[in-house]
Amino acid sequence: MRNGERLYNAAGCHSCHLPGPDAAGIDGALPAGGAPLKTPVGTFYPPNLTPDPETGLGNWTDLEFVNAMQRGIGKSGRHLMPAFPYTSYAHMKREDVIDIRAYLASLPPVKNATRPQEVPLQPVVRRGIGLWKLIGFDSAITQPDAGQTDSWNLGRSLVDGPGHCNECHTPRTAFMTSDMSRYLAGGPHPEGDGKVPSLRGLIERGRYKDANDIKLALQNGELLGYDKLSSGGMGKVQTNMSKLPDADVAAIAEYLASLK
Amino acid sequence: MQLLTKSLFAAVAGLMIVSSAAFAGPADDAIKGRQECMKANGGAMGVMVPIIKGEKPYDAAAVADAVGKIEAACAGWSGWWGDNTQKGETLETWAKAEIWTDKAGFEAAGAAYGPALAALKASADEAAFKTAFGGFGGTCKNCHEKFRRPKE
Repeated sequence: MRNGERLYNAAGCHSCHLPGPDAAGIDGALPAGGAPLKTPVGTFYPPNLTPDPETGLGNWTDLEFVNAMQRGIGKSGRHLMPAFPYTSYAHMKREDVIDIRAYLASLPPVKNATRPQEVPLQPVVRRGIGLWKLIGFDSAITQPDAGQTDSWNLGRSLVDGPGHCNECHTPRTAFMTSDMSRYLAGGPHPEGDGKVPSLRGLIERGRYKDANDIKLALQNGELLGYDKLSSGGMGKVQTNMSKLPDADVAAIAEYLASLK
Repeated sequence: MQLLTKSLFAAVAGLMIVSSAAFAGPADDAIKGRQECMKANGGAMGVMVPIIKGEKPYDAAAVADAVGKIEAACAGWSGWWGDNTQKGETLETWAKAEIWTDKAGFEAAGAAYGPALAALKASADEAAFKTAFGGFGGTCKNCHEKFRRPKE
């Protein structure tokens, strides 16, 4: 369960599944869902992750949870929209995903039915996702690289898996799949305003002094004057990072510092 | 004749458009003020962060000097956010449209800054400074999260 909470923070679940502004009387710290998430294809209202049987995940089995997290298949058997970053979560170890599930099940249940998505072309898009998965969905679980340190491997698994850094920091192809030839190289912001910085060559380009500098930036953000980690949604990510165990953030920093 | 008048008019209008795009104006002045203010904040961070990290000893005079520079650079703050300052004539700005569509939210985020700076100014010893600094950095993040565009 501890591991589940840790990965819940690493995965930033709450950043999207938080209660909406109109959710009166719901503890804002719980992932009760409903806050609007605007994307280029439409507006999503991420669902309630608390264990309420009717409106949350109370009636979900572990298998259904894993299918959603790692295959992008909902309880009803439909393809889920990849605004939910299962393309990254797919790389996680199965037991880690189950741990997140156990953590979510330990939260107080909240009754909060969220609104349906407002995606104008939804029937077309949803059909397209099946095809899109064929070309753009690499569901391989991250395997350790024996030539690297344990910490580097931990960092990579956090970055590519729960951290889902690729979803914004790797640009997309014309087919909206991640362009892995430009892995974490930055690009236009997915919400259409501004740019997402490259995470490659952070040291060489003088953005940070060393891996420890990256670590301090992720843990503290503007509390230590690192002013690049607030805008464009990164502020929420940095808040999540500040909740992670020190060794995890050090591992992420070590891995990022190694990207040339 | 009519053609000449028309083309003259078009030329003058064209010139006006070009000139309004090419020369600084009131929006640039406001944006410059905002950016100088932010630079003073960045400069103050450069003084204070090494103290927080323990790389430099606490120096009350240096902190007071940094706070003074912020106060001087940011004195015109309230006059820099008019509706006509969303885009500069020549200067680029990272201010988000939300500043003007959510004025109450922006003002609330900005209102937290004054007391945070005052607490920094009032801090008389290292312990008080460190406490005040935490609140100060928090107000930067709180406002930038919602109201500043990301830039590389």
